[in-house]
Amino acid sequence: MARPDDTLSRPGFTPPYILERLREHGSPRQRRCAEATLTHDHSFRALRGPQAAERLPAASAPGRPARYIYTAEHRETLPGRLVREEGQPGIDDPAVEEAYRWLGATYRFFWEVFERHSIDAEGMPLIGTVHFGQDYDNAFWNGTQMVFGDGDGELFRRFTVAIDVVAHELAHGVTERESGLVYAGQSGALNESLSDVFGSLVKQFHRGERAAQADWLIGAELLTEAVQGRALRSMAEPGSAFDDPVLGRDPQPGHMDQFVVTQADNGGVHINSGIPNRAFYLAAQALDGYAWEVAGRVWYATLRDPRLSPDIDFAGFAALTVDNADRRHGRQSREEQAVRDAWRAVGVMP
Amino acid sequence: MSRVDDPHRPRLGPGSRLTIRREGGLAHFPGLAAPRCIEGDKCTPGQRRWLERLLGEVLEGGAVEASRTQAEGQPSGADRRVFRLAIDEPGEAAGGGADDTLPPRWTLIVDETRAPGSLVTLWRHGELGEEP
Repeated sequence: MARPDDTLSRPGFTPPYILERLREHGSPRQRRCAEATLTHDHSFRALRGPQAAERLPAASAPGRPARYIYTAEHRETLPGRLVREEGQPGIDDPAVEEAYRWLGATYRFFWEVFERHSIDAEGMPLIGTVHFGQDYDNAFWNGTQMVFGDGDGELFRRFTVAIDVVAHELAHGVTERESGLVYAGQSGALNESLSDVFGSLVKQFHRGERAAQADWLIGAELLTEAVQGRALRSMAEPGSAFDDPVLGRDPQPGHMDQFVVTQADNGGVHINSGIPNRAFYLAAQALDGYAWEVAGRVWYATLRDPRLSPDIDFAGFAALTVDNADRRHGRQSREEQAVRDAWRAVGVMP
Repeated sequence: MSRVDDPHRPRLGPGSRLTIRREGGLAHFPGLAAPRCIEGDKCTPGQRRWLERLLGEVLEGGAVEASRTQAEGQPSGADRRVFRLAIDEPGEAAGGGADDTLPPRWTLIVDETRAPGSLVTLWRHGELGEEP
């Protein structure tokens, strides 16, 4: 396997991890995945075609989502071809059906728990594109819509399979609209953590789980059996989600003592998010019951708090959650104490 | 200013090292973040010209030099993946040896969906082209 920082010599370099893996196993599927990259268009793929925002349908009525699912047909053009919209019958495509269903579940969560009408609170259509790229192993929010790859089938399944991953991406839209948290460093890690918090809450809400019953994993369905891991992240035990020869070891810390200073990953936004993730988990566990009822509402109120600056750090965010718990439940209430204790346990508050 | 004189235009000499990293995405996997390095002295002049042309193409396609990303803002969205390309000159370090503590003299960040296919192929397969 290629080692990190391998120096690559002419005429090429040490083959990347994925090709090593393909060469080792050499199944037709794996060879096809490798060859797919050779068919990439040499022009700038995503710049083609109108952006979804240019032809957004009208906002929906309060309490009703407006879902529009497109297929990129394995190209990288957005939004792609519309294949299912709100109210239309289902089609024989699991990725389309999952995207439609999980976006609906996420809308329902935000509406029924927070009375929030979609991403912008004004009924913004929920646009998702599936089958993005060839064996594309990622999902993202592009500022307008959600995008889901099919995964390579070797390490990752299709990214629509996990309700919390779909909700995670939609929640990025909510955070962007509400706070504009800068996507770098500690504010970026908070941005990521909020998507994990709401992603996990959507899953728990959909399943009717209490905090003590939840697995607190993100993307538990995404990794294939070939991977030594159980999810992308663990909110309960950051750093324990995977330890795999190809993916490496889950790098998330769960305490400020292990805070990772790095330039990679926008300053570790997906790494240090483990710290606020664990704080939320601890608060929810201490309060018991359904996590969205108290802890979830405190975090949501904090996200909407006008004092939340785009470049806020962990300590500033923690102080705001404690203050919002105080405002909602009273000073030195059980709820305020649980939130404060959670931030203390992860080393953010003294 | 002509393109030849453009100070932002990347240059690759025999003493240069080009590092390509793929960063970002829904989760951070250390095993998938290994950089790919190309040593200038192990490339032919034609291959270095091919790389320079590719880097110029990336720059013209909307990539931003890392030093300018703060001022110009990041692309909107989240969980997007990017390629981070850096050129440094290991031989310029004291004693002539490589010194990875020195910052690269040129760094470029390009959104994955804006990257030319030849860059993706280079990262995945290590396939270098050659220009006359």
